[in-house]
Amino acid sequence: MKAYTIFKAVTKNWMRSRTGLFLSILFPILLLVVLGVIFSGIGGASQYALFVQNLDLNAAIGEPSDLSTAFVAALNSSEAFRITEVPLDENATEYARDTLGPLGGSMRILVISEGFEDDLVNRAKTSLTIMLDPADQSGTAVKSIIASVANAFNYQLIGAENYIEFNEASLIDDQFSMVALYVPAVTAAFMMINGVIGLTANTTEFKRRGIIKRLSITPLTKLDWIIGNVLSQTLLNLLLAGIMIGVGWIIFNIRIIPDLFTIIIIVLGSIMFSGIGLILSGFIKDTEAATAIGNAITFPIMYLSGTFVPLELMPSYLQTVSKVMPLTYFSEGLRAAMLYKDLEGIYTSMAILAFLAAVFILVGALVTRWKAK
Amino acid sequence: MNKTTVEVDSLVKQYGTLNAVDGVSFKINEGDVFAFLGPNGAGKTTTVEILECLRPLTSGTAKIFGYDVTRAEDEKEIKKRIGVLPQEYSALDKLTVKENIDLIAEMYEKRLDTLKTIELLDLKDKTKDRFENLSGGLKQRVGIVCALINDPQLVFLDEPTTGLDPKARRDVWSVIQNLKKLGKTVFLTTHYMEEAQVLANKVAIIDKGKISAIGSPEELISKYGSLKVLTIKNGDKKLAEVLQKKFGQTSLSSDGDVNVKVDSVDELWRVMAVLTEMKVGRDIEIQTPTMDDAFLKIIGGRITEEGELKQ
Repeated sequence: MKAYTIFKAVTKNWMRSRTGLFLSILFPILLLVVLGVIFSGIGGASQYALFVQNLDLNAAIGEPSDLSTAFVAALNSSEAFRITEVPLDENATEYARDTLGPLGGSMRILVISEGFEDDLVNRAKTSLTIMLDPADQSGTAVKSIIASVANAFNYQLIGAENYIEFNEASLIDDQFSMVALYVPAVTAAFMMINGVIGLTANTTEFKRRGIIKRLSITPLTKLDWIIGNVLSQTLLNLLLAGIMIGVGWIIFNIRIIPDLFTIIIIVLGSIMFSGIGLILSGFIKDTEAATAIGNAITFPIMYLSGTFVPLELMPSYLQTVSKVMPLTYFSEGLRAAMLYKDLEGIYTSMAILAFLAAVFILVGALVTRWKAK
Repeated sequence: MNKTTVEVDSLVKQYGTLNAVDGVSFKINEGDVFAFLGPNGAGKTTTVEILECLRPLTSGTAKIFGYDVTRAEDEKEIKKRIGVLPQEYSALDKLTVKENIDLIAEMYEKRLDTLKTIELLDLKDKTKDRFENLSGGLKQRVGIVCALINDPQLVFLDEPTTGLDPKARRDVWSVIQNLKKLGKTVFLTTHYMEEAQVLANKVAIIDKGKISAIGSPEELISKYGSLKVLTIKNGDKKLAEVLQKKFGQTSLSSDGDVNVKVDSVDELWRVMAVLTEMKVGRDIEIQTPTMDDAFLKIIGGRITEEGELKQ
């Protein structure tokens, strides 16, 4: 009963705080919308800017050769590039730099050498020159696409047939797009932030202002206080999950129907992150430090647990590190429950989360001081 | 004979090598307003927090209503029976006055009606105001309502008027006087001399963790306060010399006032007779000693508005 009173008071206090509401609910929605727009192709698919200078001319008419023109057309038909042709009398690099301007993005130039058509007709080797900015993170992808187009071009030229075809199939239900993966990921990440930063900052502030001391003079017990706060975090997280699912449904047409497993995983995650929040509150004395330390903890965890960057892209030692990150299991558990409906994944995540929740909340309770020294 | 509400014996609280409370002993009876008077860092709040079961003691004993503050089972009984206004009281900013009071009220089985208690403290118009929007004086009143909401037999008020403007301070005083009328026992910690003198029937002066003097304000003033001073406005050197010869302890101040310290009422009348005989027709003031004078004598310094001891 007393725990319920604390739950009511803490939740009301949070609900009426604009900053708290923004950071806990609105900011995750904004992030999900931004990621959704990026990955769902809303507003048109993204294309790489590519400058092409075709030096292979048909000497008789002074126009680009047929094969070089066909190659540029093949690049265009890949829909991966937004191609700008560089006039023959211009220096390709200077032309690209002037065209892009100071904030125009990375410079990528493809030069089709003179004799391109003759070499191909004579079955001699020919070469293409790709000039890329070393800092361009898309460089590898651009090279791969150009190489793929060149390969296809080679095959067609020699009349070979493609005996092996790749068919793309999604591991998740067709109704989900790339952005669907971000609904559980962003939800999980912000549930962690709510517990580790939100709860820590709130508790530290209550402690600094003597509110916890005032409550501890009453018959309220430490256990009631902890349960009240965990309940409040759980409600906040269930609310967040509901809103994120709703936003995914309304804006991106992602139909996720949360089941009992989703709710259990959210409850376990809420207890686990509340435990971490309580542990930090036991040592931190002011709100600014709580926010700074909370950020220093949560941001690396977010990236190291594959929330925003797939674990496969990380070096193997970081993949090992990700296995000890609590968010990894929370995020994976939510994905398994919300999207894959993979029972084995759900049970594994639930078992690990239950263990971590028990450990963190126990340590949190031990370091929460109900009496002064 | 009144029952003993608080009984403290040889209480010690150590932090490392520092004795924050150093062998303090006192008793408070039912219905007393007990003022714990001392500068910042004297050990007032530490003592109070030990009595509120917030802080463990190092040695000695402390009992509230006969319950030992160090025993877990007794702690529950003590917490049910005490009301507390902590130093620099604060509450949940986004909750209203009533919600904050209800939060504390719901911690107790026995509690007063929130709205009626709010009315008693003249906060009726502020019931729906958020705590963050209240003035310092109103916040303090909310804290007092919270301290009274469980109808406690003993109320701890830790520096209840610090930082308040004179009007808000007087309002709090009037609340404390009403508590006294209701027969509540009040444990008041303060660094304001006047507060202790006006409100308390028993004062303990504490400095550096030790109680230097204890008694009623009158006892302390009469024992440690300086003598009464009779001041003859715009006097002269001749008058000062005559009074010095007859009564001693006479001085002429730089602004021309003649001050004569007198030991008793009889002596006061004798001085008045001399002045009548000399036909001294000037303004005469009689200054009686205060708690401030007693404190100065006991501790050897005065306490500033901020609570610091100035030697």
